[in-house]
Amino acid sequence: MNTFVFQSPTKVCFGEYLSATAFEVAKDMGAERPLIITDKFLVASGILEPLLNGVRDGGVEPIIFSDVPPDSDVESVNRAAQFGLEQACDAIIAVGGGSVMDTAKAANICLSLGGDLLDYQGLNNIEDPLRPLVAIPTTAGTGSEVSFVAMIKDSAEHRKLVFGSRHLAPNVAILDPVLLISLPPKLTAATGLDALTHGLEALVATVTNSAVSDALAIESARLIFEYLPRATSNGDDMEARSATLVASTMAGIAFSNSGVGIIHALAHATGARFNTHHGITNAVYLPHGMRFNLEYSNAIYGRAARALGFSSSMDDNEASEALVKAVERLLKEVGLPTELKQLGVPEMNEEELQEWVNLVVEDPAIIFNPREASVEDIIGIYKRAY
Amino acid sequence: MPFFSSTEEVQKIMEALWYEIREHQEIALPLLQSKLIVQFHYREPEGRLTVDCSDGQNMLIIWGEYDKKPIVEMFMKADVAHQFWLGNVNVPVYLISGRIVAKGPVNRALALLPVVKPAFKIYPNIFEDTLNRPLVSA
Repeated sequence: MNTFVFQSPTKVCFGEYLSATAFEVAKDMGAERPLIITDKFLVASGILEPLLNGVRDGGVEPIIFSDVPPDSDVESVNRAAQFGLEQACDAIIAVGGGSVMDTAKAANICLSLGGDLLDYQGLNNIEDPLRPLVAIPTTAGTGSEVSFVAMIKDSAEHRKLVFGSRHLAPNVAILDPVLLISLPPKLTAATGLDALTHGLEALVATVTNSAVSDALAIESARLIFEYLPRATSNGDDMEARSATLVASTMAGIAFSNSGVGIIHALAHATGARFNTHHGITNAVYLPHGMRFNLEYSNAIYGRAARALGFSSSMDDNEASEALVKAVERLLKEVGLPTELKQLGVPEMNEEELQEWVNLVVEDPAIIFNPREASVEDIIGIYKRAY
Repeated sequence: MPFFSSTEEVQKIMEALWYEIREHQEIALPLLQSKLIVQFHYREPEGRLTVDCSDGQNMLIIWGEYDKKPIVEMFMKADVAHQFWLGNVNVPVYLISGRIVAKGPVNRALALLPVVKPAFKIYPNIFEDTLNRPLVSA
């Protein structure tokens, strides 16, 4: 067995309407004036009311920063941190999808340690604990509520900046499936496929994975295969919403310890260049990335295929191919696109393609991929996915 | 027990290695094209080496203090650096476990990992020639 490190510092709480307890949870960690970071749509939707009432019941008027765009950038983070400093906030409650979570994590760096956000770019270079952070996801996909990483866009450079440290992990994740009920079918499907990609890539990150992360990844995949079609076709199905939410968090813990791989590197680069939705882009690349890795990952994918009931064959090649086909069937069942051109990605000339490949090669996710990818390999996957 | 007995030993080895890398076009050229300034901070024993490729033409190799601000900084034990150049360090594992700390746009530096791999073959000879002792007993 390989040497491995596994950690999951985030306390995970699950329950319907549990978001109403967020202020109490923050208070238990010593907070008196938490900054609520969210987005305008969630504020307007009214689903935050139980949470906000919980704050008011604690004798505090909610302090809300809701100016988080769908794909957060350095400017948004700085604005959130500045607002928190002006309001003398001593903790953060993040309620939203991946962009809100990552904004909250990055803003917490500046709120806690001061200085310029860009000075904290990198991996493991935050040495001190940050202010308490309670994360409440409103999508079931990113796993950001338990991960140690924040990816923030540098709009000028069309790049994602990486911030990674165990201190970035939220102290508490509150999983409240009621918050997901109004999530539209397409976003439900897209975020679910993001979670599935996290699990399936974590599983084959062969130098960093472990039996512990594999178990989380496989069970997470089982829940997504079983419940995502139901959550997509009937948003009110609380059992399906609950299962996909828990699955997303499990996959988040798995990939935080194992890493992701080439599919995420391709999706990050495509998203940074063409503003495509992260979950949908992952979904398009997923079968192609899996096939690219099969030669190196057929044993683990074969094992997963048997565990998930997609194959009874002891031939790993046959079983792993059955897993890829199950992913392709799931994509169709939940109505997601299967080609990049359907996402509005234009055809690239040689020069543009080279620039885009550089983004893929520079993405930190690629170092966890089980198979090394040459420039030709990357272009090959892109063309097959196009 | 650390491989290197003193800062002077680390300096000798790392300077000799990077001077050699500078002569190998297949390694040096992509590094120069990156225009990065990478600073390596070693501990046990202490030391600091900067590789400045910022002008895209000349690779400057500076031991100790350097007046330009590095773009990427890597922090590790000198032993980890030694094992890295022997090809024995699994970088993803070391990053996840915190044995290597990276500051700055680490993705730009990580993208150069495949580029520096040919130096793994150079390092054992440099080690033995510079320190005048066989690698096995180090």
